[in-house]
Amino acid sequence: MNQPLGIDKVEASDAELVRRVRTGDIRAYGTLVARYRDRLGRYAVHMLGDREDAEEALQDSFVRAYRSLERCDDPARFGAWLYGILVNRCRTTGARAARRRRMFVRDADALNGATHADQADRVEWSDTVNRALARLAPEYREAFLLKHVEDLEYEEMGRLTGAGVSALKMRVKRAREQLQRFLKEAEHV
Amino acid sequence: MFDRDDGALDRVIRQLRQPVSIDPALDARVMEEIAADAAPGRLATPRPRFPLRGARWPWLAAAAVLGAILIARPWSAGGDTDALNAFQFVLVAPQASSVSLVGDFNDWDPARSPMQTAQGIWATTVPLPPGRYRYAFLVNGVEWRADPGAPRAGDDEFGTPSSVITVGGKGS
Repeated sequence: MNQPLGIDKVEASDAELVRRVRTGDIRAYGTLVARYRDRLGRYAVHMLGDREDAEEALQDSFVRAYRSLERCDDPARFGAWLYGILVNRCRTTGARAARRRRMFVRDADALNGATHADQADRVEWSDTVNRALARLAPEYREAFLLKHVEDLEYEEMGRLTGAGVSALKMRVKRAREQLQRFLKEAEHV
Repeated sequence: MFDRDDGALDRVIRQLRQPVSIDPALDARVMEEIAADAAPGRLATPRPRFPLRGARWPWLAAAAVLGAILIARPWSAGGDTDALNAFQFVLVAPQASSVSLVGDFNDWDPARSPMQTAQGIWATTVPLPPGRYRYAFLVNGVEWRADPGAPRAGDDEFGTPSSVITVGGKGS
């Protein structure tokens, strides 16, 4: 029990942390949360288009995962399992929020260090991207983000979403086509 | 991966792959919520739950508030009979530099139950035979804190806040 402070940050694998959580070491779950917060947060922010909704979905996913940890069959793949919970949670939130006006997220970090002119361009481009993304149907946006932003294989996407590989390929293709069209429309506004 | 005409899409993907900053206080909110979970029938008192929505404080404010949230949580560990009475005490205190659990069970000696931290979550586990115990947390070696979610001890003869946990048989 007396372990050096901070050991979780540099050494423990997901499987080891999950094992420790299951034996009652709640701190180990804090390390897993910190490990996956930003990566999963990026998906949630882009999927939902609203930072508050995204953080709520993320928090809820972490809590649900903790409460269901015994159902994580392969602790070495805790991250993928957690991803699946978040994907489902985002679907629920997205459906609930579909009629709300989407608020686009600009990441302040991405703008740091830019000149005013650069910054204005980046803000404009960021808004253009977010608007185009928001116009996609949720299933297209989900497939596009998982494939091209989170860089997942189709088989992994299938496990996360429950959709077949061919259906996912079709969704990604349609998403790409529609995004291209939306971007061209934005150029002519 | 892309056709020659996909330069714009490539730029979109690069934009979307930029890191997104998530409020680090989210970690503490998650930990506070799961620490509030209890093994059925074994928690000394019900724990307050954080609202999911509306907890959008800046990090410092969140840390200050969470620093005041102390949670003592019993866990059964493994299948060891002795460990069935091992209680894990957890404190969410991102800004603390040291925390010790002190109580009747360790003669109020901070050196006997120092708490270990990871990500601002402080925890220690102590075996407790059936009985009624007063306890508190000693933060940074000087600040005594009771557990606000547990019953307060009625006789703080030393003038410091403390809480009480009763360990009995099933359902304590």
